[in-house]
Amino acid sequence: SPSVWFSVLALVYLEHLELSMKVGTTPICAYGQAGCHIPSLADFFDRVIQQSSRMHGISSDLHSEFEQYFFPSKNFIGKRKCHTYGILTPEDKENAQRLGREELTEIILRLLEAWGDPLSQLYWSMSQDQNQDFNHYSSNKALEISDMVHELRDGVEKMVEKMKLLGVLGNTVGYISPEVWCPLLPCPSINKENSTH
Amino acid sequence: MLNWILGAEACLSHVLPGISPPGKPVLVGCRSPEKETFTCWWEPGSDGGLPTKHRLYYERERLEGVFECPDYLSAGRNSCFFDKNHTSIWVDYYLTVVASNALGNATSDPFKMDVVEIVKPNAPENLTLLLEGREDSPYLHVSWQRPYNTDTKSGWVTIKYELRVKQENSNQWKVYMSGTQTHFNLYSISPGVMYMVQVRCRLDHGFWSEWTNTTYVKVPNYLQNERPFWMLVSALSTIPFIAAACVLVMKRKYVKQYVLPPVPGPKIRGVDFQLLKSGRSEDVINALIINQNFPLMMGSKDQTEEYLIVTENENGIPDPSASQKRKKSLIIPGFCLDSEIQCKGSTPILNDCETSGETNREIKNCVKSNKSLSNMKPSQLPAQEQQWQSMNFVSTEATGQNRHDNTMQPFANSSYVDIQRPVENIKEVDVKQVDYRRVEEVNGNNILILPLNSSVCMDVQRPEENISEDYSKVKVVES
Repeated sequence: SPSVWFSVLALVYLEHLELSMKVGTTPICAYGQAGCHIPSLADFFDRVIQQSSRMHGISSDLHSEFEQYFFPSKNFIGKRKCHTYGILTPEDKENAQRLGREELTEIILRLLEAWGDPLSQLYWSMSQDQNQDFNHYSSNKALEISDMVHELRDGVEKMVEKMKLLGVLGNTVGYISPEVWCPLLPCPSINKENSTH
Repeated sequence: MLNWILGAEACLSHVLPGISPPGKPVLVGCRSPEKETFTCWWEPGSDGGLPTKHRLYYERERLEGVFECPDYLSAGRNSCFFDKNHTSIWVDYYLTVVASNALGNATSDPFKMDVVEIVKPNAPENLTLLLEGREDSPYLHVSWQRPYNTDTKSGWVTIKYELRVKQENSNQWKVYMSGTQTHFNLYSISPGVMYMVQVRCRLDHGFWSEWTNTTYVKVPNYLQNERPFWMLVSALSTIPFIAAACVLVMKRKYVKQYVLPPVPGPKIRGVDFQLLKSGRSEDVINALIINQNFPLMMGSKDQTEEYLIVTENENGIPDPSASQKRKKSLIIPGFCLDSEIQCKGSTPILNDCETSGETNREIKNCVKSNKSLSNMKPSQLPAQEQQWQSMNFVSTEATGQNRHDNTMQPFANSSYVDIQRPVENIKEVDVKQVDYRRVEEVNGNNILILPLNSSVCMDVQRPEENISEDYSKVKVVES
């Protein structure tokens, strides 16, 4: 799941977006009462960043647990190329700053979209586990991270709408075609940006 | 030329003992302080006695080829510094160090790392402590700055701070999370105590930095000026309380009398209660009788004295006017019973008049035109020492059943209505004479005539001087 970390990374880039927008803060109302302002964009960014930070922690835990179960010898198997391997994320600060808001946003949405189904599948297979390889703790983590990814995707989509309304984001961010995820490799790549495949 | 050098090396190794190819170096670790650059360090093995050069080579994910360390100098000995141009995040680096000397090479084990996983920032800077707030509620304002090379402005890194506080004499640090703020207010401080504060930070999910150097602050003792004043005031105010308490303790008897005045005990006029409690029966009796101050009877002058014992059943209407002087007097318990018995059995006179079932403790004596009785002149009696007893009892109820009062047969003379009894009855009565002594009060209008019986064991003596007086009155009985 290192690619999941890419999403975390991308969301961290969001903060770069946030700080360049300088939207004023307003009080937060949880229940949308009348006369109450909905969260500001800055608040949205804060929440998204915190959520992705939590996701990072959970996926790290899961990863090390999987290594214990499946790769106990700790040899370098090498990174498998996961299905979002082709989604290129900026490698350093200069590239990230060069990319621009629309591209960054698109990367984020694509990553989140791509990982919703695989994580649900992961949880399902862990809960069906006959061998009792995974304890309850691990399968709970898989469920949690699966839920988080779905929530994050919905939240970022809302944020994008708001940003478009505010004129902060151009309208080029349109429908994100989902990454094809094929449980059985090889799988046709439809990612045009992918130059390394 | 090269062959010669190689040959020379081989010769040298045979000629000069103790030289050898270098030992294997070990990569100890790498660190990135701001996620934009990083440095790696290695530990060289033995140099084999010859000048040994170390080189670091790396391969990188998503990049073809093998590259050598761009900078061996900036980070010191046995290190390799990767600047911004050579640093990429979220990609794996595979590092190896090669040690080489004249005799050979040695290659370290490959070291895999990702820049994001080796982030450890520098400690925060310029930690300052400011004492603020009012004198009675001070607080400590702790402030610091981010490490100089971290780019939080553009959002490249998300920084989190943590500070810890310790009292000077304590071993326990108290840790507080500060989030992304570069300041913190400590409210739980005590005056007169020295505090030590330290701060550290971390980026994203990386490692915590080292703690800053300790900064000290001493909270001044604000209350010092006030405290002696209040102590003095409280000390002075307790002095009157203590004095009052001492006075109370010393005069506790008086206080007790004042606060809890003694309840007056039962008092019998003329009777000493103490004597009663402690004395013998004779003493008691004498006390009862002698000390009674019977007011002198002026009966000789007053022939219209009333002796209210006599009641008649016919009338039954008490005369309230006559009952004014009546007082309640105790009935000797058991007496009435006896008298009733006596009434019953003794004289026919009584039998006629007796009413049964009377609870009134009245002695119903019949007024008889009993000449024999009325003929008893007082003057005769003492001479004869007749035994007569007449109990003229008046028991007047407070409820006004003073039927004794009425039925006045107007006595022309002061005559009694007596109950004469035979001697044996007297004896019976004698036995009960003790009861008589319990008459507590005899009004002047009530006459208690005691039997003047020589067989009476108590020491009742009729005083001699009574002989010449009207013995319708009992004077003083001396025992």
